Amino acid sequence: MLSLEKVEVAIQGARILRGVDLELPAGGRLALVGRNGAGKTTTMRAIMGLVPLVGGAIRFDGRDLARVPAHRRTALGIGYAPEDRRLFPTFTVAENVRLPAELLGLPRGELEARLDRVFELLPELRELADRKAGALSGGQGKMAALARALVTGTRLLLLDEPFQGLAPALARRYGEILARLVERERAMALLVSESNPELLIPFVDRVATIERGEIVGLAPAPRLAPP
Amino acid sequence: MGLLLLLAVLDGLAYAGQLFMVAVGLTLVFGVLKILNVAHGSLFAIGAYVAATLIGWFGAEELSLLALAIAALAVGALLGPSIERGLLARIYDKEHVLQLLVTFALFMILEDLQKLLWGVQPRFEDAPVRLLGQVEVGGIFYTAYQLLLLPGVALVALLLLVWFLRRTLLGRSIVAVTHDREAAVAIGIDARFVYLSTFTIGAGLAALGGALAAPTTSLVPGIGVQMIVLSFAVVATAGLGQIEGAAVTALLIGLARSLAVYFAPELEVVVPYLLMVAVLLIRPAGLFGRRELRRV
Ligand SMILES: Nc1ncnc2c1ncn2[C@@H]1O[C@H](COP(=O)(O)OP(=O)(O)O)[C@@H](O)[C@H]1O
Ligand SMILES: [Mg+2]
Repeated sequence: MLSLEKVEVAIQGARILRGVDLELPAGGRLALVGRNGAGKTTTMRAIMGLVPLVGGAIRFDGRDLARVPAHRRTALGIGYAPEDRRLFPTFTVAENVRLPAELLGLPRGELEARLDRVFELLPELRELADRKAGALSGGQGKMAALARALVTGTRLLLLDEPFQGLAPALARRYGEILARLVERERAMALLVSESNPELLIPFVDRVATIERGEIVGLAPAPRLAPP
Repeated sequence: MGLLLLLAVLDGLAYAGQLFMVAVGLTLVFGVLKILNVAHGSLFAIGAYVAATLIGWFGAEELSLLALAIAALAVGALLGPSIERGLLARIYDKEHVLQLLVTFALFMILEDLQKLLWGVQPRFEDAPVRLLGQVEVGGIFYTAYQLLLLPGVALVALLLLVWFLRRTLLGRSIVAVTHDREAAVAIGIDARFVYLSTFTIGAGLAALGGALAAPTTSLVPGIGVQMIVLSFAVVATAGLGQIEGAAVTALLIGLARSLAVYFAPELEVVVPYLLMVAVLLIRPAGLFGRRELRRV
């Protein structure tokens, strides 16, 4: 469903991605693992159309995304939770989560149904719904950012370092949510990045390793040893 | 003394109304485009000249208020999109210095254009003021136009703008782009359209400020300059991107300026800037500004 073919990205003349190849079928769950500065975030931004490609192509359902402006990509069913949350601080949590759905111009019933599905997965957000995003703690912000991405990411969800900076208890909770999500949304493809692969193993079926803008390894996720 | 004070306050309110409309457009445009538009004052001036011209064309006093509205709409709708699409859209990814120079060049061009079209002789068209007549407040007669219409329109503009930014999809998109353009695009906001609409709204507000100012003053070359400089003071004092803050600050600066006119005329020119400097020394992000948390 999603395929990156020899994707090249350069920022201010410096080549950041050097021929990245990735394949993600519907329902596939891929971890993108690499150190800081390896190019994980840039890969996600490229998929969202937030950085121009200088070479290669990104296809979604066989269609070249070069012809889909960045702001139209959510309408394809893609949702993106950036690593630093990037919520709109003067909007409430509810407004942050709702806005991408409103921008899709969905009929009212469908819009509410979508939001319900999201809040069902993240019940703790209901209590925070009227809180300004700027007043959230880091962990709450992560949850709200996940919710915002889930609203449009019905077919492909991009999570950039979701566990980064989460206290252990919150990381466990976030892990539970992800586990329920991949259980519930069987057809949704997931691309999730992390510098520490172990956190992701339970949710993914393959692990791609990125180093200096190149995919240097692709392996099935190790099965957890049976108890 | 009491009468003078009353006069000063009334003058200040009327002036604050115009100032707010220009300054709020400036701050709105800066919030989204991240460009400080030096030519913003020219839109005020052109709005004023077009209004005066239309009042002349329409002739009848009863039509003069309509002339003001049409002038503001026409200037906003024609100049807004053409400046944004034709000029600014080409420099969004350039350095700030270049952006400043480009809007400065535009300012020079628009100033010359005004002289070309309207000459350098002062023009005075006060039909709207005569139409609305005078009202008595506290023993003095004051024009209803300046007492009621100017501050009233400014207040309505403020309320409409706040409602628009909070309650409509385009308004919220504008706020979202102001916060974080990339995150806004990633959730499906068409930044290009937001830029275009924001600039057009800003241009329209400046032109409206100019159109409303026209009947109260002689139009001469350079009227836009004083407005833009004071607007910069308002925007900086309030904190960049603050809408309600711009209203309060316009009021403060408008009142301070007119109090100076009556009670310390030699200070008229510097009072707004003294206020600005005092505020910025104590609160560098402005009265209502929050210091941006820089992301690494
Ligand atoms: N806006 C930018 N300007 C300059 N260099 C950048 C920019 N964004 C990313 N880079 C560089 O690109 C490389 C990859 O960055 P990134 O994709 O953020 O890596 P990761 O997410 O894996 O930590 C890094 O070397 C980083 O310094
Ligand atoms: Mg990163």
